[in-house]
Amino acid sequence: MIELKNVTKRYGSLTAVDDVSFSVKTGECFALLGPNGAGKTTIVKVLLDFIRPSSGVLSISGIPSTHAECRQSIGYLAENHHIPPSLSGWEYLMRSAELLEINRSEAIDQCNRIVELIGMQGRENTKVGTYSKGMVQRFGLGAALMGDPKLLILDEPTSGLDPIGIREIRRLLESFKDQGMTIFLNSHMLSEVEKICDTAAIINRGKLLVKDSISAIVKDGEALEDVFVRLVKG
Amino acid sequence: METSKSLPPITRITKYTLIDEVQQRSFVVMFVFCAICIFLVRGCYQGNYMVNGQALDAETIVRTLSKATFHVIGAGVMVITALLSMRIFRRDRNEGMQSCILSKPIARWQYVMGKILGLWVLSTLFMFILHSIVFLITSINLKVFMPGYLFASLLCSINLLFVVNAVLLLSLLMSEIVAFLCVLGVGVVGFVSDGIVAASQSQIAQAMVQQSAGHPQTDLTWWKIVYFFWPKLLGVQQLASSLIESKSSHGFGPIYPLFNVLIYCLILGALLFKRFSNEDIV
Repeated sequence: MIELKNVTKRYGSLTAVDDVSFSVKTGECFALLGPNGAGKTTIVKVLLDFIRPSSGVLSISGIPSTHAECRQSIGYLAENHHIPPSLSGWEYLMRSAELLEINRSEAIDQCNRIVELIGMQGRENTKVGTYSKGMVQRFGLGAALMGDPKLLILDEPTSGLDPIGIREIRRLLESFKDQGMTIFLNSHMLSEVEKICDTAAIINRGKLLVKDSISAIVKDGEALEDVFVRLVKG
Repeated sequence: METSKSLPPITRITKYTLIDEVQQRSFVVMFVFCAICIFLVRGCYQGNYMVNGQALDAETIVRTLSKATFHVIGAGVMVITALLSMRIFRRDRNEGMQSCILSKPIARWQYVMGKILGLWVLSTLFMFILHSIVFLITSINLKVFMPGYLFASLLCSINLLFVVNAVLLLSLLMSEIVAFLCVLGVGVVGFVSDGIVAASQSQIAQAMVQQSAGHPQTDLTWWKIVYFFWPKLLGVQQLASSLIESKSSHGFGPIYPLFNVLIYCLILGALLFKRFSNEDIV
């Protein structure tokens, strides 16, 4: 589903991503882990063609990431998601549907379903300017789910959410995983990752340290957090 | 690139750009202010004016003043268009619309095209409505009908396309305010130099040149080349205003400004697409 080959991204003398290669299979729930500034968000942005890599090749479903068609079946939630404050949550979801060329009646059905899924019934018609950070994040996730994507790329999806919200997101991700959706998760929430994901990669200072199944990374008697700290601290 | 598939995303982004701009309070304030100013000017059409001791007839007054108003609106809307365009990419970036749109199967060129068209349509409508107010005042209140007035307004929209492309491109290369000032500077220099050239072709200026014929002439060739290639924004307005008077233009000379500005629009548009394709979406 996702393939990165020798991807490097340099900003002048700073190497944000250093010769990273890995792949994510269809239906896999994958977590990209790393400390702040490790290069996780850069990898996501390169994958979405928001940033051009200095070298290397990326593809989604066999289509180079530079082609717009490869984003046909991708849902993306940005870290610290923003929505124009002049729109309501409903209008934002409708825009997302229109951009995917979903017809109006189908879009209304999907919006109703998604509003219920993200638990925002009754708030969808108020302006985004009045929403809390967590509510914006929920609508961002809702927009990512529009059009029933095959691949969900989530950059810190639980950012700004309270513990109840985090648990709801985890349950949603588990249900998407059960439906066979491929999930690419960027997260600091190691305990959540350990519960949901099948595979994980840990990067530090732009370099890939490990990429394997969670069960292979985490040895007996250890938690993912222990492995993460051990690998990152060297 | 399939045209039929490319158009829907562009029209949608154009629509969002129009809606988002119209919802801005600053846009509404600017529009209402301009419309009120145009209404306030209507009293000037009915004044008594004397030239060389002779009173001007009402129709001459209306035609002259409405033409002057035409130029003022044309220039004013160019400034407003530059103001509207300068923050469009930054606002989209800060409000998350840029990443929302570009994470969908929409190419960067479609996004940029949608933005250009949205701003161009909006500013053209803005100018057309202001010109229509003048047209209605002169047609209904003063019974002076100038059918070319509205066509002239549409022709002037080429200038607005130039401003949109130039400000969008420069706003990617420098701070927005500097981009705005640069485009404003290009416009002001063009207007002033066109004014100087027009004045130098007057009978008084010609007589002055003949009087100083004995003095050594400075080499103005380079300045003439720069002047020839400078964006002819005033030239387009003058060409458009010639439609108001129902004068037909003959030869390359009068339509050269139109070609000049159109070529600039194409060059700036191409540079904008090229620059945005390498832009980091953050």
